[in-house]
Amino acid sequence: MRVLWLMTRRAVVEAIRTPEATVPLLFIPVFFLFVNLGQLGEQFDGAPFLKGQNYAAFQLPVSMIFAVIGIGSGLALVTEIENGYFDKFLVAPIPRLTILLGRLGADFLRNLVTATVVLLLGMAVGVRVESGVLGAVVLVLLCAFFGMAYGGSAILIALRTGNTQAVNLASLVFFPLLFLSPNAVPREGMQSWLETAAAFNPVTYVLEGTRSLVIDGWDAGSLLACVLVTFATAAVLLGLSVRAMRTYGT
Amino acid sequence: MADDTEPTPRRGAAKAAKPATKAPAKRAAKAPAKAPAKQAARATKAPAKATAKRAPARKQPYSAADEIRAAGASPEPVAPPVAATPSTETRALAIEVRGLKKSFKGGVDAVRGVDLEVREGEVFGFLGPNGAGKTTTVRMLCTLLPITEGQARVAGHDVARDAAAVRRRIGVALQEIGLDPLQTARELLELQCGLYGMDRPRAAGRAKELLELVGLTEAADRRTKTFSGGMKRRLDLATALVHSPSVLFLDEPTTGLDPASRATVWDEVRRINESGTTVFLTTQYLEEADQLCDRLAIIDHGRIVAAGTPEELKSAMGSDVITITLPNALHRAACEAIEGMRGLDQVVEERDALALYVDNGAERIAQVVRLLDKADITPTALTVARPTLDDVFLKATGRRLEGDKEESA
Repeated sequence: MRVLWLMTRRAVVEAIRTPEATVPLLFIPVFFLFVNLGQLGEQFDGAPFLKGQNYAAFQLPVSMIFAVIGIGSGLALVTEIENGYFDKFLVAPIPRLTILLGRLGADFLRNLVTATVVLLLGMAVGVRVESGVLGAVVLVLLCAFFGMAYGGSAILIALRTGNTQAVNLASLVFFPLLFLSPNAVPREGMQSWLETAAAFNPVTYVLEGTRSLVIDGWDAGSLLACVLVTFATAAVLLGLSVRAMRTYGT
Repeated sequence: MADDTEPTPRRGAAKAAKPATKAPAKRAAKAPAKAPAKQAARATKAPAKATAKRAPARKQPYSAADEIRAAGASPEPVAPPVAATPSTETRALAIEVRGLKKSFKGGVDAVRGVDLEVREGEVFGFLGPNGAGKTTTVRMLCTLLPITEGQARVAGHDVARDAAAVRRRIGVALQEIGLDPLQTARELLELQCGLYGMDRPRAAGRAKELLELVGLTEAADRRTKTFSGGMKRRLDLATALVHSPSVLFLDEPTTGLDPASRATVWDEVRRINESGTTVFLTTQYLEEADQLCDRLAIIDHGRIVAAGTPEELKSAMGSDVITITLPNALHRAACEAIEGMRGLDQVVEERDALALYVDNGAERIAQVVRLLDKADITPTALTVARPTLDDVFLKATGRRLEGDKEESA
């Protein structure tokens, strides 16, 4: 347990000492929030799916998800594998799982911070979280958890390939996933082929669930779908990462 | 250090059977006996020890054995403070390897059947060129790489079956210096202590101790990315020591270091060894093997081609080297002059020197002088030396490990 704490703390310190990796993580979602707002805000003013809020409320979850999709852990892991520091952990009498969990824990903490910052910014431009304070907490937690799970893909690639470029793919892949989801308009407003694609895209459900907390209040259906998809993503990606860690080097 | 008035026969009968030597007075008072003995021995090594006793090889676990006698220092081993009375066979061997093999995917056989026995308290060297299989072997022994075939026991535990127990007892400093550039030296050591189960105060204390040990107290709170190569290497060494491991693995600990840093690391290794830690180190430097190692194995193409104390290995060559220093222009004349001399095995031409491999240097040198004199050749210098490890390597593999003159004289 103490080892897990040490490994987490160490990854947190690493994140704090590499602001150049964390700050862009915030810059991009904030940029997107305002650019999208500037382009589409007026067009959707008073649209029924906004339920009386401004377009920023619709965009906010997109930005929050953006703020937690970090592959920093995967990249740090590759660096660590390359420079040999990783071997020190492997040769120490600690469960290998703690190496992974420490990084994931740090990711989760970092995500809590970045998601909260974006949420507060959204509220500053007039977004109301319809589900209240508790809803806002759930919103941040869900985003942070999903981001951590997604970061698992970078860790997985890092462990399997030990290659920086390959790890970068993990963040590239997120763009098609995002654009094949109802990121700018609700699913009903999409062309049918895109709507079909979106239905198979896990990010769709994550967005809809988190967005429902902002716009609709407590919508059990959307929220449940979001939680299930988030947990399934975590189960698959983190499960594979755990296996990759257990069998690393063999 | 332990009191050495009563030698502990922990290294087996061979040691006890050795003649007790006369000059206990010469024994350094405070310093552990082994190191000064080695140094003294080294001092006598240089030219001409042709008469040095060719001791029956197998019996002597330590390289310094003959030399210690020659130097008149105590041959008695110093009992390390830890693991004072190992009685069983498994405890007396720190590393035991049988038929170790490693094949990588794609059919590369990096290690092709290695047998090794490293006794507790030894500095054991693994000497070989790049790509010989040194690192692969070390990684297998450290539980970092699965073993393809064969068995390995380290610190009394099977590497494959009981990796966790092995990990608790070994310290590892690999060729790639594995340091996190974002942490300070102190943080890095404290974290490392934590990984070995120390609580916060103990970790802090141990880190402080180790920083002092490797001379990094002043740089303790700087991030390691600002460290020089030598500092990184010393810190890396310190991280391997947090839990006072009983076996320390060092994979090419001085590769890439300048001579001064190299000497510092050597001192470090000696000090660690004196405190009772068995050291297994790989190196591609002959001098390192010669200076540091009690015993060594020469590995080439994944197989051990020779093993023993440096002295045994050199003695087994069965010849001494007489080096005649003289200008290249005179080589031909000199060669003609000594041609057909009795006991001459081989002449190797080097730059401004001739190396004569002879059966007995001390006996033959007079003859060489006479023959050269008769031919009116006056050499700049004439030295007799025991064969070097490079000569041993040459004989075992047909190649030189380092540049020709690296170790001679």
